[in-house]
Amino acid sequence: MQREEPVRVGTIMPQIEAAVRDELRRRLVSRGGPPEFRDAEIFECVHDVLARAADRRGTDVLLLPELLADEEAWKPAVELRLSSHRSVIGPVIVFLKRRLLLPLVRWLFEYTEENFRRQDYVNRIVMACLEELAIENARLRRELTARVPPASPIAGR
Amino acid sequence: MKLACVIHRFGKDIAGGSEGHCRLVAEHLAATHDVTVLTSCAHDHVTWANHYPAGESTDGLLRVRRFPVAHRRDLARFRDISRVVFSGRASVEDEDEWFRVNGPDVPGLLDYLRDHGREYDRVLFWAYRYATTYFGLPLVAGRAVLLPTAEEDRLIHAGGLAPFFALPSGYLFLTPEEAALVADRAPVRAPSNVIGCGVDPIRDEGRDSSSRLAEHGVADPFVLYLGRIDPNKGCDSLLRHFSRYVAGGRTIQLVMAGPANMPILEHPAIRALGFVDEAMRDALLSRARVLLMPSPYESLSMVLLEAWNHGVPALVNGRCAVLRGQVRRADGGLYYRTSAEFGAALDYLLDRPDDARALGAQGRAYVDREYRWPTVMAKVEDILARVTPSDERRTTNDEPNDERRTPNDERRYRRS
Repeated sequence: MQREEPVRVGTIMPQIEAAVRDELRRRLVSRGGPPEFRDAEIFECVHDVLARAADRRGTDVLLLPELLADEEAWKPAVELRLSSHRSVIGPVIVFLKRRLLLPLVRWLFEYTEENFRRQDYVNRIVMACLEELAIENARLRRELTARVPPASPIAGR
Repeated sequence: MKLACVIHRFGKDIAGGSEGHCRLVAEHLAATHDVTVLTSCAHDHVTWANHYPAGESTDGLLRVRRFPVAHRRDLARFRDISRVVFSGRASVEDEDEWFRVNGPDVPGLLDYLRDHGREYDRVLFWAYRYATTYFGLPLVAGRAVLLPTAEEDRLIHAGGLAPFFALPSGYLFLTPEEAALVADRAPVRAPSNVIGCGVDPIRDEGRDSSSRLAEHGVADPFVLYLGRIDPNKGCDSLLRHFSRYVAGGRTIQLVMAGPANMPILEHPAIRALGFVDEAMRDALLSRARVLLMPSPYESLSMVLLEAWNHGVPALVNGRCAVLRGQVRRADGGLYYRTSAEFGAALDYLLDRPDDARALGAQGRAYVDREYRWPTVMAKVEDILARVTPSDERRTTNDEPNDERRTPNDERRYRRS
C-alpha cells in the first residue's frame, strides 16, 4: 500500500538532533559537567554557538589570526621546506638533505606530522569558537543598547 | 559537432570517479556527435605508469587517442609539495609545481591540444586537479567546457585556482554545492548547468539474490558500504562509529564491498568482501537495509544514486555539504555529524522500516526526476549549444576571463 504522506528529512533530522543533544546534556550533567547545563535552554544556546563554529566551512578565514603577529610565530608548520643559506654550496646541501637525510628520517617526520595537523585543526576550531562567541556578544550588546534608552546628558557638563 | 573529451586516464576497467563519468557522458555524446577521447597511456592513478599503447584506437563509438606519460609520479616529492600547498602558505610557483607533480605529465597531449585543439568544436575537460586539465584547458579556453569535479578539500582553497576557474567557456557541474564551491573561487559568468550523472533504470528487479549473498557470508539484516575502502573516503570514522554502535547491543552486519586501501577492523559484525562484480553489487543493493556513505569529500556520490535506484535509503556524512544536499533534496535518507547522531539516525532507519522504505522510494523518485540519461544529456547539449567558440584572446568587457589575469597568471599559462 502506498503511503500518502511523504517522509521529510527536514522534519526527522531536527527530532534526531534534539534527542541526541538532550542525551548529551544529561550525560554531561550526570558526570559533573557545568551546573548551568541542567537548564536545557542554556545548554541549547551553548551547543548552538559551539556547533556553529565546529561546522564552519572556512576555518582558514578567521579574524583572530589576522590580528596576531607574523603567522610564522604561531602556526604549526606541518610542511617541510629544505633550504640552505649558503649561496655556493647551498644547492648541494639541499640535494643531500632531500636525497640522503630525508629518506632516513621520513618515518619520524610523517609520524609527527599527523599530530601537528590535528593540533592545527583544534587551534582553528578554538579560534572559530572564540570568534562565534565574540559575534554573539557583539549582537547581544547591540540589542541591549537598542533597548536601553541613552542616559540623559548631565546638566552643566 | 566534433567533440574532444580530455581525461587523465581512460579504460573499460577504470570505473567510478571522474573517469567513469567521462566514459558515460562521452558514450552518450557519441550517439549524436563525432567524439574523440584525448587521454594518457596510464592505467594506475598513483604512479601514472604507461600501460596502454600510445596512438589511436576505437572503443565502441568512441575514437581514443592516447599519449605517453613522460615520467611516473614521484610520490615522496608529491607528499612534500602537498604539505606546502595545503599549509595555506604556498606561492603561485608552489601551486604550479603541485599540479605538475600530481600529473600525469603528458606533453604529447598538451602539444596536440595546442596544435589541433581548434579543430574541435568543443573540448570537454574532466577534473581540474590533474595536469591534463590544469595545463591543457588554458590552451583551448575559448571552446573549453569544464567539469571540475571539485570537492571541498584543501586543494580548492589554493590561491592560484581563481584565475583558472575563470577561464572555461562553459561549465558542467555535478551538484549545486559543487557549482557554489567553484563560484566562491571565481565568478562563473560563462554558461553552466548542473547535470549530475545519468543512471539507467534497474532491470531484473526482484531476482532472488539471497543465495548469492549467503555464499559470501552476508546475512540479513545488513547495512552496506560500497566503494573504495580508504581513510580519505571516511572509512576509518565509519568503522569507529559502527563498532561503537554494535557495542551498544545492536545486532546488524556491516558489509563493506570494495578494494581496501587500509586495514579493516576485525569484528564479527563487519564483513569485508573486497572488489565485487556488477551482479554482486546489484545483489547487495537489492537486500541492504541502508547504504552508508561516510565520505567527507564528494562532488557527487554516484553510489548514492545507485542505492536510490534500488530504493535503498542512505545514511550520509552530514559534514559533506554535497551529500547532505543530495539527501535533503531527494528526501532519500538521513545524515550525521557525530557518533551519537550516527547511532540515533541508524536506529531510526532500522526501527522504522516503513519510513526507511519511504525514504528509499523517494530517493528513487528523485533519480527518476533528475538523473535519467535523457534529462542529463539534454543539459549537456544545452551547454554545448550555448558555448560560442572563440580563437581570440578575450579582451572585451563582455568576456571577463583575461581581464582578471594577473602577470603571474600570464606567466603560468605561458610556461605550460
